Amino acid sequence: MLDAPLIGSYRPDDVLAWESDGPRSAREFLSAVITLADGLPDRPSVLNLLTSRYEFLVGFAAAMLRRQVTLLPQSRAPETLRRIAVDQESCYCLTDRGEPVHDIPAVVLPARRGSVRPWNIPRIPLHQHVAIAFTSGSTGQPTPNLKTWDALVSVARATAKRLGVNAAGVKGVVATVPHQHMFGLEASVMLPVQQGLTMHAGRPLFPEDIRAALTESPERSLLVTTPLHLRACLLAGVRLPPIGMILSATSTLTSALAREAEQRFHAPVHEIFGFAEAGSVASRRTVTDGDWRMLDGVALARNGSHASIQAPYLPCPVPIPDRIAVTGRATFRVLGRAEDQVNIAGHRASLGDLTRQLLEVEGVHDGVFILPDGKEGSLSRLMALVVAPGKTQEDIQHALRRRLNPVFLPRPLLLLPRLPRNETGKLPREALRQLMERWKDESSHDV
Amino acid sequence: MTSQQLSPFELEIAKLIVEALKLKADPSSIEPEAVLFGDGLGLDSIDALELSLAIAQTYGYQLKSSDPEIKATFSSLRALARAIELHRTK
Repeated sequence: MLDAPLIGSYRPDDVLAWESDGPRSAREFLSAVITLADGLPDRPSVLNLLTSRYEFLVGFAAAMLRRQVTLLPQSRAPETLRRIAVDQESCYCLTDRGEPVHDIPAVVLPARRGSVRPWNIPRIPLHQHVAIAFTSGSTGQPTPNLKTWDALVSVARATAKRLGVNAAGVKGVVATVPHQHMFGLEASVMLPVQQGLTMHAGRPLFPEDIRAALTESPERSLLVTTPLHLRACLLAGVRLPPIGMILSATSTLTSALAREAEQRFHAPVHEIFGFAEAGSVASRRTVTDGDWRMLDGVALARNGSHASIQAPYLPCPVPIPDRIAVTGRATFRVLGRAEDQVNIAGHRASLGDLTRQLLEVEGVHDGVFILPDGKEGSLSRLMALVVAPGKTQEDIQHALRRRLNPVFLPRPLLLLPRLPRNETGKLPREALRQLMERWKDESSHDV
Repeated sequence: MTSQQLSPFELEIAKLIVEALKLKADPSSIEPEAVLFGDGLGLDSIDALELSLAIAQTYGYQLKSSDPEIKATFSSLRALARAIELHRTK
């Protein structure tokens, strides 16, 4: 098999997506893709910033037909987009907001409805490079992770098989996660479209939005979400329509929350383990499994104390950013995050890289990002200690906002006359801990 | 109403925001007309979700993105307090 179809086995009039104004059939989708592909600029890569999951998919598919690579930025922070644009010269962007992105030529969607009435599902070569997922690198420059069509199709099929999507009679997918995020692309775009399901184009945020999106979708849809959204749905007391199954990722779900969700929504809750560099690699049903089970076709390789992921679609083994213990032939347990790595609401970053970006802010003489010890189940935010004489907290937050994904913005940001560095210039953990204790007492705030 | 003074209900909502989002701010110092998201208090969509939860639990008002007023509702403390007063069920 050297290629794979753009979409799964839909009939022409099957509903491929549910847009804000109603259904889009598979035929309408193909027509929109072919029409858009004809009109795209002749450039090698495209920054797809489209808000609607359906429009995003149309843009992604059209780019693939033109053999263009879709760039998936880790955030929309202007400085992140600027750095990607500088790095990927001669890219253009697809946008629906008319927002200017650092001198990049823009194509504004929605495009004209296609007038062609095709019914040939295009096939894409498996080895074709179709996307680049950016992660925050240790150098300050976003690190590109190249994805082949093979990688995306393989993960979508393996995930659907593991969850038993077809056996459970799931016909639709609703997702609260962004489609530009690797997990979102795999689980909320590739999975439904490869399986011939109806993909909801929205990105519901509030529990009431999630209820509305599920109501518009086929009964017993798959809900692709995060622990934060699940918790909100449980605590806000909304009544959701029947759900087929729930798939959560981006941060660890506690078994208590998973159990409550299974009982309230009468649906199995599965979790995905993955990271942008390798994509989804393992899953578990949280209430019954402590261990993660590798998806079909994915293998673990150990190299001393480090573990890597191997798969036929990955050109070389990819190191796992967490510390893990192998518990069986295809199972493992997560012990904790690797030193220096943080995961805030599904976005990973290295504290070292965040600190470097802080130090690049004008007027900052010294500074450090730290992750306070968080309570289980609640979202931990980062904290920053900054030495910047003459600058205010607002000045620095404003500068950081231009550079960082908002989830990493420090809360709080403390201005200090100096940091407790030792003779070698290092910041001893104990000194930082004492500093934070003192701050907690003074502000009587719980960090 | 353009007063910079917080009404008692606005102060109550300011306390709810500071508590729900674990902000390091004095509730009475939040400017009633200042923007809450983006560059103002610097809140993001995760905060919006947390805040919606606190509002649903305390006042029984379920926020909806499809509500045409939603942008205005979240634009400032004053607008949020006004919307909660209007829609609260408890």
